[in-house]
Amino acid sequence: MKLNIEGLLVYFPYDYIYPEQYSYMLELKRTLDAKGHGVLEMPSGTGKTISLLSLIVAYQRAYPLEVTKLIYCSRTVPEIEKVVEELRKLMEYYSKEAGEKNNFLALALSSRKNLCVHPEIVHANIIVYSYHYLLDPKIADLVSKELAKKSVVVFDEAHNIDNVCIDSMSVNITRRTLDRSQANVETLQSTILKIKETDAAKLKEEYRRLVEGLKEANVARETDIYMSNPVLPDEVLQEAVPGSIRTAEHFVGFMKRFLEYLKARLRIHHVVQESAPQFLKDISEKVCIDRKPLRFCAERLRSLLRTLEIADIADFSAITLISNFATLVSTYSKGFTIIIEPFEDRTPTIANPVLHFSCMDPSIAIKPVFERFQSVIITSGTLSPLDIYPRILDFHPVTTASFTMTLARTCLCPLVVGRGNDQVAMTSKFETREDFAVIRNYGNLLLEMSAIVPDGIVAFFTSYIYMENIVASWYEQGILENVQRNKLIFIETPDAAETSMALEKYQEACENGRGAILLSVARGKVSEGIDFVHHFGRAVIMFGVPYVYTQSRILKARLEYLRDQFQIRENDFLTFDAMRHAAQCVGRAIRGKTDYGLMIFADKRYARADKRGKLPRWIQEHLTDGSLNLTIDETVQLSKHFLRQMAQPFKQDQLGLSLLTLEQLQSEEMLQKIAQIAHQV
Amino acid sequence: MAALSEEVLLVVKRVRQRKQDGTLYLMAERIAWGPEGKDRFTVSHLYADIRQKISPDGKAKIQLQLVLHTGESTNFHFSNESTALRDRDAAKDLLQQLLPKFKKRANKELEEKNRMLQEDPVLFQLYKDLVVSQVISAEEFWANRLSLNNVDHSASNNKQEVGISAAFLADIRPQTDGCNGLRYNLTSDIIESIFRTYPAVKQKYAENVPHNLTEKEFWTRFFQSHYFHRDRISTGLQDIFSECAKQDEKGLRSMVVQGVKNPLVDLLSLEDKTLDEGYGSNSMAPSTSSANKTVKENSNSAIIKRFNHHSAMVLAAGAGKKADAPNDQASETSSTDGNSRDSDFFQPPVKKVKIQEAIEYEDLHMENGKKTVALNLKKSDRYSHGPVPLLPQQYTTSQDIINSVNCIQQEIANYKPCLTQVMSSSTASSAIAALSPGGLLMQAGSQQAINQMVPSDVQGELKHLYTAAGELLRHFWSCFPVNTPFLEEKLTGHLEDMFQMAYNKFHAWQTRQMLRKT
Repeated sequence: MKLNIEGLLVYFPYDYIYPEQYSYMLELKRTLDAKGHGVLEMPSGTGKTISLLSLIVAYQRAYPLEVTKLIYCSRTVPEIEKVVEELRKLMEYYSKEAGEKNNFLALALSSRKNLCVHPEIVHANIIVYSYHYLLDPKIADLVSKELAKKSVVVFDEAHNIDNVCIDSMSVNITRRTLDRSQANVETLQSTILKIKETDAAKLKEEYRRLVEGLKEANVARETDIYMSNPVLPDEVLQEAVPGSIRTAEHFVGFMKRFLEYLKARLRIHHVVQESAPQFLKDISEKVCIDRKPLRFCAERLRSLLRTLEIADIADFSAITLISNFATLVSTYSKGFTIIIEPFEDRTPTIANPVLHFSCMDPSIAIKPVFERFQSVIITSGTLSPLDIYPRILDFHPVTTASFTMTLARTCLCPLVVGRGNDQVAMTSKFETREDFAVIRNYGNLLLEMSAIVPDGIVAFFTSYIYMENIVASWYEQGILENVQRNKLIFIETPDAAETSMALEKYQEACENGRGAILLSVARGKVSEGIDFVHHFGRAVIMFGVPYVYTQSRILKARLEYLRDQFQIRENDFLTFDAMRHAAQCVGRAIRGKTDYGLMIFADKRYARADKRGKLPRWIQEHLTDGSLNLTIDETVQLSKHFLRQMAQPFKQDQLGLSLLTLEQLQSEEMLQKIAQIAHQV
Repeated sequence: MAALSEEVLLVVKRVRQRKQDGTLYLMAERIAWGPEGKDRFTVSHLYADIRQKISPDGKAKIQLQLVLHTGESTNFHFSNESTALRDRDAAKDLLQQLLPKFKKRANKELEEKNRMLQEDPVLFQLYKDLVVSQVISAEEFWANRLSLNNVDHSASNNKQEVGISAAFLADIRPQTDGCNGLRYNLTSDIIESIFRTYPAVKQKYAENVPHNLTEKEFWTRFFQSHYFHRDRISTGLQDIFSECAKQDEKGLRSMVVQGVKNPLVDLLSLEDKTLDEGYGSNSMAPSTSSANKTVKENSNSAIIKRFNHHSAMVLAAGAGKKADAPNDQASETSSTDGNSRDSDFFQPPVKKVKIQEAIEYEDLHMENGKKTVALNLKKSDRYSHGPVPLLPQQYTTSQDIINSVNCIQQEIANYKPCLTQVMSSSTASSAIAALSPGGLLMQAGSQQAINQMVPSDVQGELKHLYTAAGELLRHFWSCFPVNTPFLEEKLTGHLEDMFQMAYNKFHAWQTRQMLRKT
């Protein structure tokens, strides 16, 4: 159908439309009009991607000078492939309706082996790729720096974007890294010697270039041709490479000294935590290395590798890591912390020193993106509470909205189980998680649900170790044997290949009617990337609140930073983080309006307003007072009732309510209703 | 019946039945008992008729009880003092091996009969009238029906393999025997489940029983083994099953190596780009080497592995052979190529289909498919058993009805009156009058009157009697030509009785009706 979104003709490749899709497009268009950033939360399965694509493509066609490019970032390969497929569908519709051969060029990049700087990337109208191509400075510099300013950037499934940012800027250095770097340095040295004999002019040419400084890059950045790179600070661009590392030999010598210093730092017996300035002070006192040459390290190494014409850069990953670390630590005095641990907490007898250079401020990595591109859209099914993302990513959105799911039948049923039938509170709280009664009650819940839920059940635990322990005690108590009478059991393991197999078998068991249970872990790969549509997930059970492991020093440092810099209280952040993962887990089961599923929150703490309030609105609004703090029996009763209702044939009475024709969409009354779907924050 | 060629598998002397001494014979197809000194069997049961055998333990008398499908039971008392227990166990073991073979056959027959009765309400009524009221015996009733039907259904009755319960190991919960021992009760079903799920154990069984171990010893070792207790780590003791664990491990690995066919669940290719080594906030994954894991952790992960393996094996055993048709193309490549324009040629079809499934919003499309009519059940029992129709009817399906309604609708829509051949109004009205009930052409009212006069229950009963009599007649006529003594006996002997009985039944019904009328 063809839509009129506030004066913009949008081709939408379906005969009907969900009201929330219309609302979503409306908000999106307003964001693009304002040339600002947006945060939009809409449940998965309501056709978010196609709405985004339809509107932005239409916008690009209508205003080719205002928006030149769409950069669509998603998280996983299947997600990217889905986007490409939807785009294809849209393009087919265009050529069918408009009757014209579309001259749109869309480009999808994925997988390292295909990573190439395609000349077409500059000309493509739409680029689909993974987050890293834009957020990871190492790749962004290769792939994305030439992308035009007038682009719209979309981060889909963006609920974890802060962690992606942090990961791309954090560095860990072990003894092994240092040893490999040492080897790298030696290879460099011998290559330099060789080249000196055969082609000394090349090195001289490089030297001359470095004296000139990185003028070219600077000009490019100032004239806005390139996106800035957080690993390439402005100062570096404006100055020449310092004399102490300008010749190749000097630089190699410098790196050797730096490596020796790091080796010495790793020889410790107790944990050290320090800031970047402290580290710089120490290095200058101990080995007389200044801040300035350190800052040029990454760029200098790149230049050297280029000059020596080294083909396989992957071999030099260790020394590249070290040089990146050197540049980062000397560039950012805020937002990073250095933690040196002599051993793992769990194994204090085995020396395994690690230097964590850990980024605490996700805004550092994403800042160039917000600065460069005129509109950045952050969207996902679960972004609640919406206001926290602009704060931790440090940007000012023009639109912040959450959309509900219009439903002809209530196809999701969130329930909070707080007690066992013996009235013992059910919780994964640290103090009681080893409690026999709690584990038994969790087991009973699973057993009861396995008897009444058809086909597939997915259960999530708060951590892998917790799951291992519970599975072991359930096994000892004979609970799992009883569960097996109803369904087959599959369990996630740390091994991805093993888990993939378990997943496929799980689906097979759901498919052939035997029914199965998948025990899995929040924050794990399954919870982040696998959908359990229809009978693959008729119920999701979330055992406990998936708080992150709070004893880690890195997390503590990050919490401190959030408190000092963004005035976000530790508890607020931890709860936010736990709830977004819980929402991700339970949201796996509902993948559309024809789907249905139970969402069982098995922890009494979910009943509290501070937890409940952080769930996405589309889940929250179905969580009534009557479904809080239930016992197992009550849960079973409510679930039975729900499942019986859902098992009735889904009558096609969606039309006019949660599914609209063009005429219905245009009625005044409906437009008013639609205005209420978007919940502005 | 006792043909000489019958193979006798076991003979046990001095077995009492109804306080009479005799000899118990276990033969290829039946179990029989004859009193001492006589050469005919007074008790003879086909194995197929035996529902279960019970051998009560701990009683003073050493007995074996057989319960038949009909509910009857027979007791044998082993009275040879010195060897009674051994005799009984020998008989029991043999039965244990034989019964399952026949059980399936018996079940199949029963199922078949059941199915026929459920599918055919007329037959069901006949069965009630003739067999339940004991006009003819069940065997006779089925004698010439099953054979007919067997041919028709043989195709659909292609033996369907029964799956394995996932919890079959749970069913052998050990019981303490009061002393310091454990007792496991194994049935042939469980053993089969174990063999089908764990081929390695089957192999061990074939290798060791009965050359090295007796069956009992084998299972005792099995339950003692570390293999059975999956939380324990095999320590490589003298355990014939430690090899099984290794084989399982190998099997699991090979399954993992094979990879998955559905690219959407392949966690390995989920991420487009994992961070380089050394980057990331918690890339220091806890080392997975078993060296620095505690024993408890190791045993925990062993449990988890075994559960995955067990479930996979159960699933595979249920799926049978059809599962091994690997889709080469699907496993070939799972990463996308960089350029979307080329991807049509490279994307394996499975993947493309899966992705298209994933992005499909069926409700956003205009419906093109056939509209189905939702079934609204007010009385579900009526739905499953059906009203008992008196005569077989030709049913029209709802689709037929809908089609014909559509047809008529179309015809009416396209109907154009042929104005040149229109009747005058008076002729038309007289024709209508003649065609109305009671009109000139509708004089068949008298039959209707009887229909309405007789209450429907009386009609029903009469029709039952009629069909029952018809069935008897069918038996009667099927005896001709009388060319065997058996047929002659049937004709002169009990068919006559049957007719008599049917007549009596009818007569009784008639008098009852008369009485009711007056």
